[in-house]
Amino acid sequence: MAATDTNLADRSGNLVETHKAYDPRIVFFHFLLGALLVTLVAGLAYQQLRKVGVYADAERQQTQRRILYPGPRGQIEDREGRVLVGNRARFSVRLLLDALGPEFRKEQERIRRNYLAAEDADVPSYAQRMKIARATVVQRYLDRVNAVIGGAAKVDADDLNKHFERELLLPYTLIDDLEPAQYARLLERLPVNSPAQVYAFSTRHYPYGSAASHTLGYVGATDEVELEDFPGEDLRTFKMKGTMGRDGIEKRFDAVLQGEAGGAIFRVDPAGNRINPPIQQVFPKQGRSLQLSLDIDLQVATEQKMEENGMAGSAVALDIATGEVLVLASKPDYDLGRFVPRLGAETAASIESRGAWYKRAIQGIYPPGSTFKVLTAIAGLRSGYITTESTVNCPGFYLLGRRFSCHDGHAHGETGFIRAIEKSCNVYFYKHGYDMGADIIATEARRFHLDRPTGIELLHETSGMIIPDEDWKRATQQQPWVGGDTVQMAIGQGFLVVTPLQMAAFMASVARNEVWTQPTILRDPQRPRQRHEPTGLTPTQYGALMRGMEQVTLTGTARILSEGRLLPRIPGLRIGGKTGTAQKFDKRGTINIAWFIGFAPVENPRIAIAVAIEGDTPGEETGGGLYAAPVAHALFKTWAEKQARPPGAAPVLFRSE
Amino acid sequence: MPSKRLDQARPFVTLGVIVVAWLLVPVAVKAFLRASFFELTAPITLAASRIRDLQDYWSLRLHSKDELIEAGRDLARLNASYELGVQRNAELQAEVARLETLLRLPSFTTYRYEHARVARRDFSGWWQRIVIRKGSNFGLPVGAPVVFTGGVVGKITEVHATTAVVDLVSSPSFRIAGVVEGDTRPVSYQGGINPGFAPPTGVVELVPLDVVASPQAPKRLVTSGFGGVFPPGLMIGTITRAAMGGDGLFQSGEVRLDERLGSLAEVTVLVPL
Repeated sequence: MAATDTNLADRSGNLVETHKAYDPRIVFFHFLLGALLVTLVAGLAYQQLRKVGVYADAERQQTQRRILYPGPRGQIEDREGRVLVGNRARFSVRLLLDALGPEFRKEQERIRRNYLAAEDADVPSYAQRMKIARATVVQRYLDRVNAVIGGAAKVDADDLNKHFERELLLPYTLIDDLEPAQYARLLERLPVNSPAQVYAFSTRHYPYGSAASHTLGYVGATDEVELEDFPGEDLRTFKMKGTMGRDGIEKRFDAVLQGEAGGAIFRVDPAGNRINPPIQQVFPKQGRSLQLSLDIDLQVATEQKMEENGMAGSAVALDIATGEVLVLASKPDYDLGRFVPRLGAETAASIESRGAWYKRAIQGIYPPGSTFKVLTAIAGLRSGYITTESTVNCPGFYLLGRRFSCHDGHAHGETGFIRAIEKSCNVYFYKHGYDMGADIIATEARRFHLDRPTGIELLHETSGMIIPDEDWKRATQQQPWVGGDTVQMAIGQGFLVVTPLQMAAFMASVARNEVWTQPTILRDPQRPRQRHEPTGLTPTQYGALMRGMEQVTLTGTARILSEGRLLPRIPGLRIGGKTGTAQKFDKRGTINIAWFIGFAPVENPRIAIAVAIEGDTPGEETGGGLYAAPVAHALFKTWAEKQARPPGAAPVLFRSE
Repeated sequence: MPSKRLDQARPFVTLGVIVVAWLLVPVAVKAFLRASFFELTAPITLAASRIRDLQDYWSLRLHSKDELIEAGRDLARLNASYELGVQRNAELQAEVARLETLLRLPSFTTYRYEHARVARRDFSGWWQRIVIRKGSNFGLPVGAPVVFTGGVVGKITEVHATTAVVDLVSSPSFRIAGVVEGDTRPVSYQGGINPGFAPPTGVVELVPLDVVASPQAPKRLVTSGFGGVFPPGLMIGTITRAAMGGDGLFQSGEVRLDERLGSLAEVTVLVPL
């Protein structure tokens, strides 16, 4: 038994572990482990609590995508609310590429197997096979669409791959601008859950074709689609193309017309494919509509008449009381429908070659010719050099160093104030213009604001108008002013140049017996009558001027308007006006500018117009009475017809559709 | 002990083996099995339907002779008015044919009419469909339009030997190009999410802005005929509400469908000739 106990004692020495209650070496490791544990916990807390926002953002940026859609633009309407520029739905069939990931991969695998089966050594790389697979799959969908609408469209592989790499979340356009019957067929034939679907988007629509094209302007594509206060600015954002005004009203009032963009934030899978529905979505809003002062009936009637003779030119009509522009026409122009969906190089080249970018109504600077005699007459009456009783004997020319011939070389004989205006007697105005001097005429022209742009709310109005005087000639021509310059200026020739818009504003001012009319292109039904400084003419003087201008259209140089031979009479409308035939020197030689400025009705002026037609053959007579007055006639006639109709019954005279 | 554990896991193993086997079965076999399932269950569906017909028959037998005579008179009057309508239609068809010849217009698609009893209704929030008692035995094709006295019923989506499945106009997977009656511009109609016992509705999109529809002045939505599936002029439903969509180009709205869609007993399949 004792032996057994001894053995147990020996074994216990080997089997039973003994511990000291305190070992400094172990304590060191306790501290070390504790420190490491604290470091770990602190690191974990830092990462999980302190940096939680950073990781949440990183996760969000990796798994979410933002898409911005442009809002439709507002409409542009004429003064009666008719749509001049609207939005038209454009239908296209588009394919959601991000929904085709599995199909692409399957097709890629099939292509690889085919290469291997054919024992082709040149097996394309994975990236190349994916490109081929994408084109194949997309063409397959396109073939289904072709079968429904009877088309034969083919996929552009480069374009497809570019879209895939840059704009995966945006649908890829298979066929654009579908006809109603085509999209109706597709709506019915394409499965509801097909990745190929019919989409409608907004494009600009111009119901009146080229009418007022220079005024309205056009839009171009832009990537600058922004949505304020929409979260996710740090996310990868895809923007659908929007539009931006590039010229005319579209550009000038882009901020008003521009719609508010919409947007959506989608969650995406690791391959970048969208997961519906969106996490957040804001619908786009249409821009505000803009009402112009133009009257499309008058505009179209004017432009149609201008197109008849095929000459370049412009016509402007103003509402005399308010200065609102009723017509602003310039030829040649361009069909705005050709700018949709985008302006092609061929169309742009055609516009360029025809000089159709040029907005003659606000950019064309022409000598005003005899229409300026109205201003010379006012200057003379105010300064006392001309009285309503003044007469001049016209032998058909005026001698001042050389012969200055009268209108058409006619000898008008003893000519009074009214007859001088009626017959456009140059000699009458040569003499009185020379007597009063250039300064008085120039001062009067400046009083009527003919030396500066009108400030209309349109882009690119020229500032190249010139009211010459001695200082101007010395500064620009380095030559002294001579008497010939004065007599030329008195009849609207020489260095004097103005725009048709200025002359329309001038005519409206004279009709109101004031010196200025501020033209505006915007319609305001509450706009008050304009009031500016009076001309300063006595009632007798003003009456004589009005009588002279009415005589112009009855028996004078614009009698074509009333005699009823070449143009039909406008019953009950008394018109006052003045013709002009100015000479302009350009690279082709000397061409005539046919002018007519006028107003109606004489007893209560309400509409003022200016027409300037450029002659197209150097040296050929292009008289104001023969070329510009018929345009004025069309305008006055349409205006008079509209006045005779009850409100709201005005028919649309012309539509391009 | 381990063998006992294996015994306990046997059902799970069996299930796993079956799932794996099913996954490995070729697609063609799966499709065949699925079709076979429909064909095997079709007699049951048909038998149930015929029993219901028999039930209706005997319930009708309970009506008195006076009631039957009265119903017969009503029917005769209805028939007389239909006769007039048929004659008028014949005249119009002749006129249409004359104008088509005169203007060299393509003829509308012509159809053969196949009347079929409804064997089963299958409504849920996800789909709305019916099974009819005719299939490929009567030459019904997939995609054929189905109509009833109230207008469009739907489109055939599956055809079996003696039955066919019709996707109803109220189903979210049904879409058609319609027109507002009196207008020619196509609009998109799609079935809505319809709870089981609620009146069926759909949604209409691409509605021109000048179309005004409200509960007080609803607009009738009819088939356009543009899609080439349905003939033009069939009633889809009434647009009870239309409001401008986010794009500013079109309106979207709600279409109220015929409530009889939920209790259809007989329909007509238009089989294109």
